[in-house]
Amino acid sequence: MKRLLLKGTCTAVVLSVAMSVLAGCGSGQNAAEQSAAAQSTAALETPAPGSKSEPVKISFMDLWAKDKAENISTSVREALADFQKNNADIIVEEEAIGDQTAYYTKIKTLAASNELPDIFICKGSELAMFAKNQAVAPLDEILDADAAWKEGYVTSAFDDLTSDGKIYAVPYSMLSTHVIYYNKKILADAGVQAFPETWADFKTMIDKIKAKGIVPIALGNKEQWVAESCILSTLGDRFTGPDWFNGIKDNKGAKFTDPDFIKSLAALQELGKAGAFNKDMNSINNDQQKTLYFNGKAAMFMEGSWAIGAVMAGPEEIAGNTEVAVLPSVDGGKGDPKSMSGGAGSGFASGVKGFGSKKEAVAKVLKAISGPEYAKSIAEKGEPTAYKVSDYDKSKVSPLAVKYAEMASKLKFTPIYDSYLNPAVVSKMNAGLQELLISTITPEELAKRIQAEYEKVK
Amino acid sequence: MNHANSLKIKNSTLLSLLAPGLAIYLFVIIVPLFTALGYSLTNWMGGLDKTFIGLENYAALVKDEIFWSSLRNNLLIVLLTVIIQMGLAFLLTVLFMSKAMKLKEVHRTVIFLPVVLSAVVVGFIWQMIYSNDYGLLNAILKSLGLENLISPWLDDPDQVIFSVTVPLIWQYLGVPLIIFMSAVQGIPKDIYEVCELDGVGGIKKAVFITFPLIYDTIKVAIMLSISSNMLVFSHIYVMTGGGPGTSSMVLAQYAYNTSFNSMQLGYGSSIAIGIFIISFGIIIIFKKLAEVKQE
Repeated sequence: MKRLLLKGTCTAVVLSVAMSVLAGCGSGQNAAEQSAAAQSTAALETPAPGSKSEPVKISFMDLWAKDKAENISTSVREALADFQKNNADIIVEEEAIGDQTAYYTKIKTLAASNELPDIFICKGSELAMFAKNQAVAPLDEILDADAAWKEGYVTSAFDDLTSDGKIYAVPYSMLSTHVIYYNKKILADAGVQAFPETWADFKTMIDKIKAKGIVPIALGNKEQWVAESCILSTLGDRFTGPDWFNGIKDNKGAKFTDPDFIKSLAALQELGKAGAFNKDMNSINNDQQKTLYFNGKAAMFMEGSWAIGAVMAGPEEIAGNTEVAVLPSVDGGKGDPKSMSGGAGSGFASGVKGFGSKKEAVAKVLKAISGPEYAKSIAEKGEPTAYKVSDYDKSKVSPLAVKYAEMASKLKFTPIYDSYLNPAVVSKMNAGLQELLISTITPEELAKRIQAEYEKVK
Repeated sequence: MNHANSLKIKNSTLLSLLAPGLAIYLFVIIVPLFTALGYSLTNWMGGLDKTFIGLENYAALVKDEIFWSSLRNNLLIVLLTVIIQMGLAFLLTVLFMSKAMKLKEVHRTVIFLPVVLSAVVVGFIWQMIYSNDYGLLNAILKSLGLENLISPWLDDPDQVIFSVTVPLIWQYLGVPLIIFMSAVQGIPKDIYEVCELDGVGGIKKAVFITFPLIYDTIKVAIMLSISSNMLVFSHIYVMTGGGPGTSSMVLAQYAYNTSFNSMQLGYGSSIAIGIFIISFGIIIIFKKLAEVKQE
């Protein structure tokens, strides 16, 4: 009896535990069915398009928590409220999911059942996949119908949101993933007066700062995207130039094992070997890298333009001494040193189902939440805009944001690797960069590994 | 007779009482298992098209180096946990039995307390303990004058797997301890009394009386430990995320990364099924080995 009981217990334990891990993978479908059911009831209530008496309902989904007042989300919500006042015939129903991972899980589930919202936020890399599955609608038609609107966007704003020559989303801001925030006082103490313009000077600067007992570059790469998105995307372009990346993106013969790309990996490893980064770079995250910088233990850190707000909120003596720069030129590099990785990254896309029947209404809402008035409102908060704004009130913009805007106006954007590459390739690259930085793998080996994954998912 | 009658329940009542539990089990565990099995035979990337590709995912899985290195990490964690955690728990059980130990309640509570903490919280706490600049561990080593022992605990690929195992052993030490202690309470007191009359000492008592008499319980505890450690995820996800590179990657995290970071849901499902098969195999092998020893 005891033995039987034991046997029963064991089997039950094994079964339940082993299966619980699988539950995570399977639950997606249940959720899909549920939301599909919820959506179809909603669809029944939606009035038929064209009946003028009933207002058109536009569903809008975003990943901005309602209780968090961030610059962009506040401006979008203000623009929507204004829009509602002037357009009684259109009702925008917003659904906000504050957690990014949960948001994208929901979006992918909705996409799998072709129930994407009429307007929703989407990353460029996800968009390419949705476009391939014909879950999102190309927006060229409505953009071309209003040329002044389309022309208003800054050049290259649509690059991240275009797939096979068609535009699938309109951008609401431009961001750079690579900005070097440095403490000019620490640099001056180490005998560096101006931020270096060449790679050799850059390395000399690293040595000088290190000699002072200060970490030259704070890096928090635990979550693995920082080294790739904020450093390699720009460093790689310095060596390879944009043509190589276009070749990779469009499958036109470029390889990760090409010598130029390997050189960029080698340059990154060289920094690691020279002790340019803190020793615990692979176990702290990008918030903790800023902590190192704020404590004066590091001379600089590399992160996107989104960190401007955090730096301004940091200790006064650090924030006041902070300047912005980008990586210097490299010897024999094919890229333009006056550039940084960046772009729109995300935009407002439209589900193919809603777009088909409510085109005009979708266009009106899109214009309201990404067009001139909205852009002016975020420009006044110091956010980089995707829409050309010339005349705005600069009084409330933080000094660092002004410095950044000045620098950005002279620079070009180059592609952010993780906005374009297949997520599986990015995953391989990101994990490999951790090893590269602590020299447990050579640049050649890493290049081969990324190339193998690239060929597998091509 | 009356007593037996009062315990008799109609089959229909029994079924309706079981139904809610069974339904949850069915939809949370059984159904997902079969859907995962279905997904593992496709190349699903999270989009609309799901193409049936037969056993291709499994063919790739067999050749997947990261899968096997993750399995090796899992096995290492299982081995370390079984040896150290079970050993410590048994030692503590013996200590708790001895009359010399004072404040038993306090000790038991302190040891069991971490078990009820969330794995994520424990992960964060240990991440802080290991922290290079502000960590408790390095601070203690420094104050003891052992600076040469300070190392990047979570950044050295050769030792990271040991660093992430320590919190696991510490957190769940209370589970086998409580199981062992309740088993020990089931051993008749007169056996020990006879031993004491015969002049058997503490260590002999533990090895020749306590151990054989709670052997079945130890087996269950080890099995629980194997199955939970084959699926360990949250601690490592929080502490290192599987890094540096993939040196602290475990199977559950690899399945998660593949499914939700790389969006290869089909392949991710095949990893999950792989974990299921391997865990099942290990448990069966362990049961066979443990049984032979008993007879």
